[in-house]
Amino acid sequence: MEKTVKFEAVSFSKRMKSMLAVDFRRMFRSKLFYIILACALMMPILMTVMMTMMDGSVSVDPQTGVESIMVGPENTWQNIGTLPGDPLGCDEVFAMCNINMAFMGVCVFVCLFISDDFRSGYAKNLFTVRAKKGEYVISKTLAGFVCGALMLIVYFIGTVLGGAISGLSFDLHGLTIGNLMMCMLAKIFLMPVFVSIFTLISVAAKQRTWLSICGSLGGGMLLFMMVSMITPLGSTFINVILCLVGGILFAVGLGAISKVVLKKTSLV
Amino acid sequence: MNAIEIKNLSKNFGAKQAVSGLNMTVPMGAIYGFIGENGSGKSTTEKMICGLIPKNSGSIKIYGKDHTDETVRAKMGVLIEAPGCFPSLSVWDNMMLQAANLSIPDAQKEVIKVLKMVRMEGAAGNKYKNCSLGMKQRVGIAMALLGNPTLLVLDEPLNGLDADGMRIMREVFLNIVKDGTRSIVVSSHLLGELQKVATHYGIIRHGKMLCEMTAEELDASCRTYVALQSEEMNRTKMILGCQYSRVEEDEAGYIRVYDLTEPEEIVKYLYENNICVTEIKTDKIGLEEYYIDLMKEGK
Repeated sequence: MEKTVKFEAVSFSKRMKSMLAVDFRRMFRSKLFYIILACALMMPILMTVMMTMMDGSVSVDPQTGVESIMVGPENTWQNIGTLPGDPLGCDEVFAMCNINMAFMGVCVFVCLFISDDFRSGYAKNLFTVRAKKGEYVISKTLAGFVCGALMLIVYFIGTVLGGAISGLSFDLHGLTIGNLMMCMLAKIFLMPVFVSIFTLISVAAKQRTWLSICGSLGGGMLLFMMVSMITPLGSTFINVILCLVGGILFAVGLGAISKVVLKKTSLV
Repeated sequence: MNAIEIKNLSKNFGAKQAVSGLNMTVPMGAIYGFIGENGSGKSTTEKMICGLIPKNSGSIKIYGKDHTDETVRAKMGVLIEAPGCFPSLSVWDNMMLQAANLSIPDAQKEVIKVLKMVRMEGAAGNKYKNCSLGMKQRVGIAMALLGNPTLLVLDEPLNGLDADGMRIMREVFLNIVKDGTRSIVVSSHLLGELQKVATHYGIIRHGKMLCEMTAEELDASCRTYVALQSEEMNRTKMILGCQYSRVEEDEAGYIRVYDLTEPEEIVKYLYENNICVTEIKTDKIGLEEYYIDLMKEGK
């Protein structure tokens, strides 16, 4: 009698569950993840405290003799965003170096997380037993999204702590706590846009970490300025919906491209 | 049903044709020794079987299903080039990650089982980066064995293993295929070791399958020879060279006369030429010599 071998089909949910279990287990056990979160916490505290201390200090250009006065932050929420027309008097430093840096910070995590798979050879084990490349992309995007969302939350906590330490005002200048929460939610929902860009570039670059980081930073910079426009401090429900829809569309669209890239290229 | 059936498989990297019209059949329950020179296309073929690189043309069937079928792929174990482990994690953590990847229900028990199989249970707590080459290789094999795979694809699994390690791996391989349904494809340059376990062979050259045979067929086609030593080795070699078509001196200092099984004929011939034979024996060439011969013929 001829011998036969039976293969059991594993459901998508079970496969996805195990894939996510692996990625989240790796993420929560990696030093990089905690270093990134620590940076997200420390950065707003240090920036707020240092800039408040330097507020009003005069510096003289040794060549021209022109004096310039350092302007520190006036309000804690300048670290989160600005209102149209800059009514909070946000200075140049806070306009660029605010919570939106988390969108670029997550790039380092996503790029290293994915390139590690290829550099270590783990991708060989993974893709041999998993024919569906889409699951890998979904899992990485979700892990990156969670890391990014946590970075934003931690940065927010750091902002509040920094404001409290340096005695800055928490006045919302006519805005409500609801606006602030909508602003944070909008930023969180916008995160998949960036994560899916970084995921696409990382799966294309594979083990070449430098290429994925440089490419991701370049790609992220193109959209970076858009973040402050779409997610101002005075965000409303519309902003949240806009970011949510954008996030989903980008994640699905770029995720499909990432899947094709994995399918058509060598994985080793 | 065959474990692997490859038809007309081709792969090129730019202008370089790595695999060209390759046909390969691995029967169920076989330990298939996949042999070839460096750059002959072994690893490329194995990577295509595992779906790690896309093929240009041809078909790969695994247990009758296309190699991209997820149910088949979920029951494969692989060790290609190097074990895919995270250096900063421990052996145990790396194994547990792969177990989670395979959705193994009782992961801890399964990991302990495979680590015991490769005698690595004592080093489970070691960081992977601190393991020796042989230990890393054992971890790689253990990882491939996780989840009771139906098909194992192992590229140079014996590299870096000590004598005991090789013996253990032979036992492991033989245990795996004993039920007659599970199969192993092993590529190795350690042909002597491979010959001890392989039931089938495939020899690849320049991306093409040169020949496929069973261990019995290989045994039948391996040339016999008479090996001898005399008091005057150089003269003996010269005299035998005039009479027989292939006479060579081997590494052990014996003169080999190929395609002969009757030593009496040689002894008589040398006696007539006033040469006294001090030692004589008959033997058969091994896989290594067969392979070298085949490569020379090909050239």
